[in-house]
This record gives sequence, C-alpha cells and structure tokens, in this order.
Amino acid sequence: MELLDNLALGISVAFTLENLLYCALGVTIGMFIGVIPGVGHLAAISMLLPLTFYVPATTALVMLAGIYYGAQYGGSTAAILLNLPGTPSSAVVCLDGYPMAKQGRAGVALFMTTVASFVGSFITVLVLAAFAPPLANFAVAFNSADYFSMMLLGLVAAAILVQGSPVKGIAAVLFGLIFGMVGTDVSTGVQRYAFGLTFLYDGINIVAIAMGIFGVTEVIANVGKVSSAVTAQKITFRSLLPTRKDIKESIFPMLRGTGIGTGVGILPGTGTSIASFLAYAVEKKISKTPSKFGKGAIEGIAAPESANNASAQSAFIPTLTLGIPGDAVMALMLGALLIHGITPGPNVISDNPDLFWGLVVSFLIGNVLLLVLNIPMVGLWVRLLKVPYPILYPSIILFIAVGVYSINYSSMDIMMVAFFGVVGVMLLLLGFEPAPLLLGYILGPMIEENFRRTMLLNRGDMMVFLERPVSATFVAMTLMLLLWTAYSMIKSAKHKSIEQA
Amino acid sequence: MISSARTLTGIALAVMALSVPVVAMAQEFQGPVRLVVPFAPGGTSDILARHIAPELSDAIGQPVIVENKAGAGGNIGADFVAKAQPNGHTLLLSDLTSLLTAPSIMDSVAYDIENDLSPVTMVSYSPYVLAIAKGLPHSSFDELVEYSLNNPGAISVATSGIGSNNHITTERLAQHFDIDWNIIAYRGGSDATRAVVSEESDMLLNGTTATLPFALNEQITPLAVTGESRLEELPEIPTFREMELPGELDGTYQGILVTAGSPDAIVERLNRELVTILSTPDMQEKIAQQGGQATPSESPEDLRVWLVEQKEELSIFIEEAGIAQ
Repeated sequence: MELLDNLALGISVAFTLENLLYCALGVTIGMFIGVIPGVGHLAAISMLLPLTFYVPATTALVMLAGIYYGAQYGGSTAAILLNLPGTPSSAVVCLDGYPMAKQGRAGVALFMTTVASFVGSFITVLVLAAFAPPLANFAVAFNSADYFSMMLLGLVAAAILVQGSPVKGIAAVLFGLIFGMVGTDVSTGVQRYAFGLTFLYDGINIVAIAMGIFGVTEVIANVGKVSSAVTAQKITFRSLLPTRKDIKESIFPMLRGTGIGTGVGILPGTGTSIASFLAYAVEKKISKTPSKFGKGAIEGIAAPESANNASAQSAFIPTLTLGIPGDAVMALMLGALLIHGITPGPNVISDNPDLFWGLVVSFLIGNVLLLVLNIPMVGLWVRLLKVPYPILYPSIILFIAVGVYSINYSSMDIMMVAFFGVVGVMLLLLGFEPAPLLLGYILGPMIEENFRRTMLLNRGDMMVFLERPVSATFVAMTLMLLLWTAYSMIKSAKHKSIEQA
Repeated sequence: MISSARTLTGIALAVMALSVPVVAMAQEFQGPVRLVVPFAPGGTSDILARHIAPELSDAIGQPVIVENKAGAGGNIGADFVAKAQPNGHTLLLSDLTSLLTAPSIMDSVAYDIENDLSPVTMVSYSPYVLAIAKGLPHSSFDELVEYSLNNPGAISVATSGIGSNNHITTERLAQHFDIDWNIIAYRGGSDATRAVVSEESDMLLNGTTATLPFALNEQITPLAVTGESRLEELPEIPTFREMELPGELDGTYQGILVTAGSPDAIVERLNRELVTILSTPDMQEKIAQQGGQATPSESPEDLRVWLVEQKEELSIFIEEAGIAQ
C-alpha cells in the first residue's frame, strides 16, 4: 500500500515536537484571526512569513497553512453572533446563523458550524491524500468555457438566495455586477469606473464590500434599538448543544457541502466564497421546506460552512501538486517554499515527499486541534452577546477598520467600508438584500473574463459551451434550474388565482 | 526680558550646533528603513526583498522593514515611495519594466519614474522561456513561425496581462516576423502557465521560475530562451540571441530605487552596501534558486542610464504597436 507508506512518512514528519508546536501555533492564530471581523489570513500570513526564515520549509508551511484553514473555522463566529462575516466566505452563514442567534440558538449554531467545519476539512484532507494528482489533472483540464458555464450556474443560483421580492433580488445581483466591473479590465487593460483614482485600479476590495454591507450596516441599523443582543436570555450549557434533530438535519447538508467545496476548491481562482454560496443555494433548492431558509435553518449554516472549509483544504491540491496558486494566500505559501529553495511545480510531491505528506498529516492534526479548541470557545463567544451595545459596537467598528487597513495598508479601504456601510443601510431601508449583491460582485468579473477569453480563443463560436462536456453539463443544469423556477412560479400563481376565484 | 532673549539665542545656537553633525554624517541612517515591495508577498520582488533586508540591516545598523504595498501593477507602491520624505529611508524594490511601461499603459500614473524616483542599483535579471503546449507538433521556433505565418491567428499566446513585459516581448516578436498571433491576457504568469499546460492557449513567454518546472516535466515544450547564454537546465534550447530575435535580453529586471531628492551621500552608501551584499556567493545562490542572476549596478548613474534607454525603447515600441490605450 503506497498510500499507507506515504502516510507513515507524513506521520514521522508531522509528529516531531517542532512541527506539532508550529501546527498548534498556526491554527490558534488562524482561529482568532478568523473571528476578528476584517482581519484576514492574508495579512496574518504575510506578517508571519519572515518568521519562517528560521525554521525548515515543512515547518514553515505547516504553520502558514494552519493559519489559512484555521481562519475558516472562526469566520462564522461573528457572522452568527453579530451578522458580521469574519471572512467574506462566511457572509452566507449570516443568512441563517444570525436568525438562529436571535432565537437564542447562537450556541447551537456555533457548535454546528464548528462540527461542519471539521467534517468539511477532514474529509477533504483524506480526499487530498488519496487523489491529489488525478484531481489536479482534472483541475488543469478545466478551461475558460467550463469556468464560464460554472459561474453562470452560480449566478442563476444567486436568485435562489433571494428571500423577499425576486425583482429586488435580481436588482441586487445586477448592482453587485456593476461594482464588480470597477478596476482594470483584464482583456484590454482599460480602467473602468476608476475615475483616474489609483486605489480603484484593482477594483473594490471584497473585504470592504463584505464588511460594509453586512457589518457596518448592521451596526448602524441597530443604533438606539436595544441595549444588548440577548439580555433576556439565560445561557445554560444545555442551550449551547444541538438537539438530536439538529444533528440529523445537518448530516447530509454537511456531506453535500463538503463535496461542493472540494470540487470548487481544486479550481484555481474560484475561492471559498463561491463554494459556500453554491452549497447554500443547493440546500435551499433541494429542501422540502425552502421557506425555513433565512429564518434560522440549520442546513443553511451546516452546508456552506462545510463547503468553505472543504474548499480551503482542496485549494492546496493545485498549489502543491502543480505549483499553481489558486489565490493570493496560496501564492504567498509558494513564495515561502521559494525562500527555502524549493521550486514549486509539478514535481514537488516526488522531489519532496516528506514536505507534501508531512503537510497532509499536519492538516489532519490541525483540524482535530481546531475542533478541540473551538468547542469550549462556544460558550465564551455566546457570552460576547451580553456585552452592551454601546461598548460592543464601537469595538466592532474599530476591529473592522484595523482589519481592512491591514490588508493593503490603505486608508482608502477604510473609506470604502464606510461608503458601503451607507450603501448597505440604503439597501436595507429599500428592502434589498446584501447576499445576492455580494455574489454578483464576486461572480460578475469572473464570468466576463472567462466569457471574453473563450470568445477570443474560439473566434466568437458560442457552440464551444455545448461542445465541451463539463461546460455542457453546467449549461444544462442552468437551464433546468431556470425552467424549474419558472414552472414553480407559474404553478404558485395558478394556485393563487384559483384560491382567489 | 533680556535674559529670555539670551536664552532663546542660546537655544538657537545649541540647535544649530546639534544640527552640524547631522549634516556631516548624512550617509548615516537615522532610523528604520522601509523597503517597499509594490507586489503581493511571495512574488519575485518580495522574496528578493526578504533576502536582502536582513543583510542591509546588518550593513547600515538600522532595522530594514519589508512592506508590501500591492496594487495597480506596482504603481501604488511606487507612488508611495515617490511621495515619501526624500531622506533615503524609503526604498522601492520592484520589477523595473513594469515601472517603465506604466505611463504608456495606464490612464494616469501619479508619479514620474525619472523625476520622482532616483535609482540605487539593479538587483537581478531572470530570462524568459518561450514554450508551447504539449499537443502542438512544432519542435523548433522556426517551425512555429512558419506555421503561424501560414495560419494567421491560429496560435493563441497567453500573457500575464496587457502591457506586461512578456506581452510586449510577444508583440515585438510578432511584429518582427509579421505574424498574427491571438494574444490572450491572463491574470498573472501562473495563470498563463496553467492555460498552456491545460492546452487552452498554445504558447507563452514567461519567467524561468514559474515555467521551467513544467518544461522539465514535459508538460510544455520549450523552444527558446532569452538572456546572454543558454540555460543550464535546458542545454538543447537556443537563445533569442543565437536566433537573432528581437528582445534577446528581455526578461524580468528587479531593481532598487529611492525617493528623488534623497541626499547623494545616502544613495551612494546604499549603492555601495547593496552591491557588496549582491556580490556575496550566498546571495547569488539565493537569487539563482529563483532562476535569476544577481546584476548589481556599478553606480546609481549606471542604472539611471539603463532606465532612460529602456524607457525610450519601450515607449517607442508601445506606441508603434498600438498597445497603449
């Protein structure tokens, strides 16, 4: 058994005292960074990169990776408690997590997201250990046409996220698409909607949008309303634990979320946010009671949370097996390898098996540690809700400002958060939802870039979207989703007219 | 009153007296030095900066802090250094070509490389590898050119972005042979490499660090390299120079600049220290690991001359090829 030999090698590397310590250090830092709104793992990893000069390459990567996946655990904490996504990918957890907290089930929600995170991560690491090279080859075969069709499905699925008026939901998506257009156009190099302002050349920072329309909006909307979130609620140990029903309802969503997350994560450039949005949309679509979503459905937190952790883990597949980084954090980790004289590329696994397998085993250890660290924290985090608003809210604003600043060391980003806070309040007053806007913002530029690239490569021949099997599958799913939605709308309209008659 | 006036005079004299040694020791550093990298951590410039920073810190006896100010193709960080206090304590380590092409490519660049930044030294050079997708039948650059001429637009070339140096080199080759290549812009070099490995695009010209492992693993087929001589790892592959192609010395040039108007003595000192650091075998080995070679400038003036020449050449080409917006 080659796999067992490899895992044995990994265990011998990962279970040295030094690597265990750095793993624990990494995941602990990651956990706290995830919890603090706006402070991203990218900032943390770049700050700690120089530290890794003084330790071996494997140890360095064990720690940096620990920060990365550790942050995925904590991201949902503030989303649930305060409707404030700690990382953009946990924005979707706000949708059902925050209503759960309002119903006094914050502890349950935090407990389940921790379990979901663990399930998503752990299964994906096992998948990574068993199938990394073939999965990486699949990821490489995925081309622009396939990306486009997948994103198209995602955009249509955005409509499912809408809880209120469908027209307003579509308007919010379009609004997001417009914000996504700001910045330098990849295909031509032209600046769009940048008004000659250098800080807009790279587009609007996603963290600024997410923190603005979720976090700052929430703070402004609650000013003067109540003195604290759960003053009347008693926090007992029992109230923190999920019921048997909660667990039963979460198992399959977690597994589906893990599957979606793993699939999305291996594709370079897609990111964890898309995975969690897709997982949520799938759960809502296949649910027998879609009306529960947005009102505290446990499936609505379990699936996306598994998905974002799964995709954070599977993002290591193209990075380590091909040397192709999926996002900025992965690029940073490849940089750490280069500093240690290891050239990332297709031969990393065969040239440095101790590095690859040591890292894989450290992922398993790290995730177990995160589970153990996070469960006792649940009670502590819930108590955060007892902090009176006059203290809590200014602190939140401060954390957001510090966090957003730490990404680019740019004060303009703080201004952008303030701007999107105001935009968010206006949207709230007018009954528009922030989640579809965020999804439109994320998907819009990717759809456009891949569509135009496909057209350039194929001389404007649209048939390519149907000729490639992967792309054709996504197109078919998109069509089915549209037809289904139209059908159910007509059906419910008929019902209404019959009832009225 | 008199006594207070005297006190004031005394203070003024004391201040003047104190300021004298500062002027005399202008080449000494008075506090921490910031080494600004205008790209994300983990990239070529960043890794060089992180190798150089501790050495420079030892040499000048002050902390040297690497700061990443990424964005707008390196222009946000460059602009930051251009507008810093002109005391030689804020350095920029950047890809030099992207600094030179920015004014031609972008709508508005807030600084001027000749007047707002002052050169210290070149750091390193890494050549490019020209490679094609595995599925293509061509086994030499000549064959590729012949095929491209007979099939206009059939070959797609992945670049790491509009106006990037590899894009310009590609355009220059196309112009030289009067070839019609289908230029496809990607988000950076690794995305472009992925595209050619997956056979989505047909060809690319890209830095050795990112490209060489795939060539050695036979996932892409190398046809030519830039630079003075053939690559040790690819002894069979001819250079642009041997084939008399334009852009023979194209590649990635990294260099260090400082805010314009910084005291000459400080700039001279920085140049001296950096040249010493870059000439050590240890540093040369570190740079070689990244597929580059250390190329320190004899004097700040050397780099200035190089920059002016390059800027001239690039801006003429960009205008002729119609790459500018």
